[in-house]
Amino acid sequence: MTERPLDVLIVEDEVLLAAELEFLLDEVGYKAVGHAMSSGEAVAMANALHPDLALVDVHLQDGPTGVEVARTIHDKCGGVTLFMTANVKRLPDDFAGACGVIGKPYSSHGVKSALAYLAVCLRNGQAPGPPPIGLDLAPAYAEHWGLNDLPRAS
Amino acid sequence: MTDFLQSERAADLLAAEHGPDDPFAAAIRATPMAMIVTDARQADNPIIFANDAFLALTGYRRDEVIGRNCRLLQGPDSDPAAVARLRDAVAASEAIALDILNYRKDGSMFWNALYLSPVRDKASEVAFFCASLVDVSDKKQVEFELGDTRERLEAAVADRTRELSLALEQKTALLHEVDHRVKNNLQLISSLLLLQNRRVTDPAVKTSLRGMLERVSAIATVHRRLFQSDDVERFDVSAFVRDLVSDMMGSARRDDITVRLDLERVDVAAAKAAPLALVISELFSNTLRHAFPEARGGEIFVGITRADSEFRIEIADNGVGMENSAASGGFGLTIIQLLCQQLKARSETTSADPGTRVVVHLPVNGLHH
Repeated sequence: MTERPLDVLIVEDEVLLAAELEFLLDEVGYKAVGHAMSSGEAVAMANALHPDLALVDVHLQDGPTGVEVARTIHDKCGGVTLFMTANVKRLPDDFAGACGVIGKPYSSHGVKSALAYLAVCLRNGQAPGPPPIGLDLAPAYAEHWGLNDLPRAS
Repeated sequence: MTDFLQSERAADLLAAEHGPDDPFAAAIRATPMAMIVTDARQADNPIIFANDAFLALTGYRRDEVIGRNCRLLQGPDSDPAAVARLRDAVAASEAIALDILNYRKDGSMFWNALYLSPVRDKASEVAFFCASLVDVSDKKQVEFELGDTRERLEAAVADRTRELSLALEQKTALLHEVDHRVKNNLQLISSLLLLQNRRVTDPAVKTSLRGMLERVSAIATVHRRLFQSDDVERFDVSAFVRDLVSDMMGSARRDDITVRLDLERVDVAAAKAAPLALVISELFSNTLRHAFPEARGGEIFVGITRADSEFRIEIADNGVGMENSAASGGFGLTIIQLLCQQLKARSETTSADPGTRVVVHLPVNGLHH
């Protein structure tokens, strides 16, 4: 990527997952600007750091507060959120304003493909094609990035 | 002239028309069914005739009912809606049948199946109303008791349903919680292996860690797939293979190798999902790593078909072939052998000329025929 690397905030209460995720972000040319473990930390960091993208787990140290974090980031901080959770079925229909979800357990390759894909979407405001395996987009973003005009992959 | 006298006179007129020799009048006087006639032309429609059965049913003497309106039978517990229907039918000069709670002279109650119909004169004017009364208290009692029993049963069923729904909700919540933990723990194991792999430099250890990571990823993919479908008992093998191949090819970064898939939709029991996934992962990984050494490109084919009583899973390549490959009879092969034993499956490795073909025959219902 020749563009400025995307600033990413990691919101995850498992430090080992967060540590590995930081390496992964570095490998694909993103910049991990912070790591929050609770909803309070997440919102404070989102306000202070203005990340381009927040990777948010649903279960945090203070409970299943990730959904509210995503909503606050969407409504007040102006960043884009991507859920990374084992609780895909518990997400609200509107994804609380998040652009999509990567279901746990994810693979390194799955996360890398998803991030590369999202980088294109965010930069161009247009999806380069259907999302890679492992990434599910929120209906609003799928429409926003012109995916509803594409023929659906089976 | 008092109401009573007026009604007596109307009754006399009626009797004059229907003397003792009138068989219809005689039948009405003698029938065990309570019957009355009222005079529609007099104010407030008073009773002008009551037979003996009516007096026996209600406990009144004849002179106590002649000249009175039928409502003397009503009391505090008579349903106002039923009373209103009766009043409307009389006002509209229509016949009506209804059950109404009535009172005897002594204040005791009885359920009255009342039938009321207008009687018209030659000019079609309503002259009388004729009413028959049947005591249906016994039938009503049975109805009430049945209703009571039904209500109790329904309440019991509703209670039980609530308990069961609650139990199901708790079970579902528990299942979600366990599912969540399994997935998170698999993610944690993957992260541990990845983090250590970043630290070590020894190529042999790196290879081992990579192998373990692939195996954990295969199991992780199984769990992601299992709970995605609505049926947690069945596992879609073809969908798994698509995920696995995309993941492994993505990580391998071998653009010189193409993959061809021919996957029939095949479901196996959830209990077989992890061992089968490990076998497929091991075979595919083996092919990917050993069939095409030194940037030699080619094609890997993965096919799943169902034939009679078995599933046939084929992984074939057009690479260097078994005798030329560096594939070892190592840990991976041991895993395949042991898991095939567990799955009661049979694996065959043949030369594809060029390359290698491995076919796993998996019995559909756990048995080979």
